Amino acid sequence: MMIDPFPPAFIFFIGAGLLLCMPKGNLRALIGIIVPIITALVIWELPNGIGSELEFAGLALEMMRVDKLSVIFGLVFCLAAFLGNLYAWHVKDTIQQVAALGYAGSAIGAVFAGDFITLFIYWEGTAIASVFLIWARRTEGAFYTGMRYLVIQIASGVILLAGVVLLYRETGSITFEKMELGTLATWLIFLSFGIKCAFPLLHNWLQDSYPAATITGTVILSAFTTKLAVYALARGFPGTELLIYIGAVMTVFPVFLAEIENDLRRVLAYSLNNQLGFMVVGVGIGTEMSLNGTASHAFAHILYKALLFMSVGAVLFRTGTSKASELGGLYRTMPLTAIFCLVGAASISAFPLFSGFVTKSLILDASAENHYMIVWGMLVFASAGVLSHSGIKIPFFTFFAHDSGKRPAEAPTHMLWAMGITAALCILVGVFPEPLYALLPYKVDYHAYTTYHVVGQLQLLLFALLAFVFLMRTGIHPPEVRAINLDTDVLYRRFLPTLITRLGNIISGVWMLGTWFAKGKADKFVKTLHNSHGPEGRMARVWPTGAMVLWIAIILSATLIVNFI
Amino acid sequence: MAKAPKNDNPQNYPALGRWMMWVDKPGSVKKMTWVLGIFCVLTILGNLTYSNKGHYSAENILGFYAFYGFVAFTLIIFVAKALRTLIMRPEDYYGKKSIDTEEWPEAELVRKDHNDD
Repeated sequence: MMIDPFPPAFIFFIGAGLLLCMPKGNLRALIGIIVPIITALVIWELPNGIGSELEFAGLALEMMRVDKLSVIFGLVFCLAAFLGNLYAWHVKDTIQQVAALGYAGSAIGAVFAGDFITLFIYWEGTAIASVFLIWARRTEGAFYTGMRYLVIQIASGVILLAGVVLLYRETGSITFEKMELGTLATWLIFLSFGIKCAFPLLHNWLQDSYPAATITGTVILSAFTTKLAVYALARGFPGTELLIYIGAVMTVFPVFLAEIENDLRRVLAYSLNNQLGFMVVGVGIGTEMSLNGTASHAFAHILYKALLFMSVGAVLFRTGTSKASELGGLYRTMPLTAIFCLVGAASISAFPLFSGFVTKSLILDASAENHYMIVWGMLVFASAGVLSHSGIKIPFFTFFAHDSGKRPAEAPTHMLWAMGITAALCILVGVFPEPLYALLPYKVDYHAYTTYHVVGQLQLLLFALLAFVFLMRTGIHPPEVRAINLDTDVLYRRFLPTLITRLGNIISGVWMLGTWFAKGKADKFVKTLHNSHGPEGRMARVWPTGAMVLWIAIILSATLIVNFI
Repeated sequence: MAKAPKNDNPQNYPALGRWMMWVDKPGSVKKMTWVLGIFCVLTILGNLTYSNKGHYSAENILGFYAFYGFVAFTLIIFVAKALRTLIMRPEDYYGKKSIDTEEWPEAELVRKDHNDD
């Protein structure tokens, strides 16, 4: 069916332009929350099909491909933009406001892209717009972190483009549809998605950059880039078995790093990585149930992850720190933030009646049904791990644990509203999953609330909690200390620069030695020549002036002869 | 414990915060632990109401998830502690090109102490 709808992404771009024309103040903040609402309504009304075709350099671009997979991601991106901008109501910084709209708009444009060129443009759009949310912190550290982030994000786009060019040469098509790994083209596209999705060993840009962004910037960052990559994988590589194993590793390894990390926003970044792993496994299994699991988990995850970033952000906003070692006991004066954080923690840990439970079970069951026992075991292990860092560590060390003596005032009203709405949605999705299930790409025939599911999950979580109590009381649980932990970024932040500096030193040393040696020789030669042929030299004594005149005459005549021949 | 500010007065805390201060009362932790223990037992009892629902035979062992949860959590903590000895570094390890030692720019914050109201 041919349709010609107005691309919803453009509403965001128009909104960003409009915002620039407004005076600083509430009107701008209002645009930030109205634009996502209008866009969501537009997306809701979109008829399925392909539309908004555009001719570009002889290629037919499909700006709009509407189906249930793109719609659910489009809608949740609008929701995330709405909540993020409500949370950021106080922000008066034009750069952040425009970047937030441009970033969300690019992500929405990308999920509706029907071809690779459109996808590439929006793909890079998200990279460029989002880096300003990091730079907006306006510190030296944030500048360098932003640069590292930008280099990696742009590289992902360039690799995507390289893959697309090769794919076009092979197949003559730029349509973004299901692919099979095998050719260099598809591997490059896979790698590009993998970078943005923070695959193991390609993940560290996430933990490096998200804690560096502004308070509101991180809330917005957490929603889009990685979930866009999950969407791209679900669209391009469903049923690719390799993804199951990549996803399983992704769920497990961040658990350990999150446990010992001190900066709570970085803990959440590791936890984000772990949650992405579940979605990637869902894509890898590739059945209707598992893809439903991926889409629904992305939806639920965007909400509870934003909620957790919001609550830690609110604490940072009031105290100036998000380090676990500096916090504790804040529930006294920030009780609402504490409760919202607990709702987020319960949702991410997948307690029954909270959103994570009704979405993660789909992926876990799909992995068991398809007989991936080891992967299933890893996912269950990682579920206990989520409880350890996001379920317990975040709320416990911020709002409870020992009293830090800090008595910050409660978060401002607009932040409380943003957190309150998000928390309410987390519970609503958990208690009434049907409306979310109805949005999923495939028909859902699944009941999360069976005795088996509920009891099994509660056993896992409550006994893990019991282990926490035991480890705390015996003093085995590691204390929070002011420190950082090495991750793969040490390769390009320390080892590589050190290696290059050392190599540089060696090369310049050899060069200096060589030039010193050659210079010494040359000096000696000139000195010898000077001694023998110089004005005072022995040879000069016998030089008649006539000899010089003779030589000049010879050279002149040689020049003349050469000229005339 | 507390390096609470001098003008700190729990009576001024928000009502919800005062109510939540129950958790810091002596004996509360013990009570919470008991409640947790009771719930744990309940989940084991709940386990008795069904059988052979799992995809794998191990899942059908009574208290499988309980065991898995407890062991997984403990293992995570021990491995994480061991990992710390390997990869922990001082905050200024990456120098100026990192945000770890930076103070938050005050322009971004609205610091406010509850007792200042």
